[in-house]
Amino acid sequence: MKFNAFALLFGIYLGFGIWELEFHFYDYCERYTMTLREIKKLDTRIKTIKKAAQELKALSGRIPAVDRNAVRILASVKMLEINISDVIDLL
Amino acid sequence: MKTTSRKTDVYWNPITETLPLEQLQELQVKKFKKILKWAYDKSKFHRKLYHDAGLKPGDVKTLEDIAKVPKVEKAMMRDIQRKDPFPYGDALCVPLEEVTEFRQTSGTTGLPVYQPDTWQDWEWWSECWAYILYSQGYRKTDRVFLPFGYNIFVAFWAGHYAAEKIGCEVIPGGVLDTEARILKIQELRATAMMATPTYVLGMADTARKKLGIDPPRDLTIRKITCAGEPGASIPATKKRMEEAWGAKVYDHVGATEIGAWGYECEEQPGGLHINEAMFLVQLVDIETGEMIEEPGRKGKIIITALDRIAQPCICFDSKDVAEWATDPCPCGRTFRIIRGGVVGRADDITKIKGVLIAPSAIEEVVRSIKGLSSEFEVVVTKKGDLDDITLKIELLSEEEKNREPILTQLKDQLRLKTNLGYNIEVHPFNSLPRYEVKAKRFKDLRKHG
Repeated sequence: MKFNAFALLFGIYLGFGIWELEFHFYDYCERYTMTLREIKKLDTRIKTIKKAAQELKALSGRIPAVDRNAVRILASVKMLEINISDVIDLL
Repeated sequence: MKTTSRKTDVYWNPITETLPLEQLQELQVKKFKKILKWAYDKSKFHRKLYHDAGLKPGDVKTLEDIAKVPKVEKAMMRDIQRKDPFPYGDALCVPLEEVTEFRQTSGTTGLPVYQPDTWQDWEWWSECWAYILYSQGYRKTDRVFLPFGYNIFVAFWAGHYAAEKIGCEVIPGGVLDTEARILKIQELRATAMMATPTYVLGMADTARKKLGIDPPRDLTIRKITCAGEPGASIPATKKRMEEAWGAKVYDHVGATEIGAWGYECEEQPGGLHINEAMFLVQLVDIETGEMIEEPGRKGKIIITALDRIAQPCICFDSKDVAEWATDPCPCGRTFRIIRGGVVGRADDITKIKGVLIAPSAIEEVVRSIKGLSSEFEVVVTKKGDLDDITLKIELLSEEEKNREPILTQLKDQLRLKTNLGYNIEVHPFNSLPRYEVKAKRFKDLRKHG
């Protein structure tokens, strides 16, 4: 009986802890969009995509379907740069 | 460092839209230097312009230095396009074969100006518009109707692509007539649309009078984005549109040769945010050219599109008149606000009988009076040496019995708000011209004798 009461209390404690953790995590997401580290990760990926798209364009040879779609990818990458990469050194 | 925001889902990009002003200005200087060098290196027109002014790209190091950069006027753009390469001229910064988009200005103020864009520029256009539409509450769940002609003018083209980018479902209402457009909106239960203020009011009128449709009751449009005319920033016109549709009406401002540079957010703060991550807006005194930083003083907008490459827009004298707002917006954006939007054009603000007047002041009065239709026309002429101003209005048929009190109210308000006396001409309802695009309601015939 004593054991069951202890288990119950422990369960409540654990449940409250998880709830509190979730609450704080939600609160964190609500208040902070991203950490600088996460934004830097975005920037790294943007650079990777840009390099890959430039290589794709260079390799496209006589295939317009590859060349022109690579140009479009690069235009979208430029928008990512405007939104992330251009700003990152100011944060 | 962490970027903060109160509600993360209100921003298209919470990083740029909440960047403190100091950092935004740092970003603007960095980008300005880059676009200036780009134009200097790639365009004959820009190189000559800066060379003649004794300016090299390296001379611009701070925000203050930008004041030294020569201004570009629309008339210069018209001259440029007479040169090679055809049809754009020597302000073009990319090989002609990289141009994928042609648009031209409406020609309201003279010969149309041609505008080339690369695919990257076109992506940039829709990115600018994505900032606008997202701030006005457009989301993936919206079904957006575009009742415009999809023609040679940029108008709502980029709005179409931005809505798609956000994930909205977009219905192009291209060649349909007004009645067919209204019926399509009803049939498909569209939730948002984009049009000029004149057309928004005209559509509501047609819906009620010709189709027996009451837009707030029978249609599901709940947000409307306006462009092309300043109406959505004029309180009386905005109120008329919101009541006619039962929808929130938002303004946006842009131009073919500049881009979509300003917008009203969901908070409707009584002005327009400037997208300061993508544009540099400077206000200068109309007479002296002195830079205006303080709120409450009207000036002319000099604008730079910081990321547009095919035909760069650097220190463009837009002739638009605005003033900085005092208070920040409750939406949390740090992008500054111009109070009341674009309040006029430097070349529209004119002296009549010795009084400086902007046509928007007359619009505000006419549209604030119940019993008058939304259409009006102002004609300024000379009688001998004196200016003469005639205001043509339409009285709603059902308000004929209230003719005298309505006209008295109109005259009183005009005198109070514009300090001028007018010859009032009352015309039958539906007899003044209706416009689908840019309305020409202010006619100054003095210069033409």
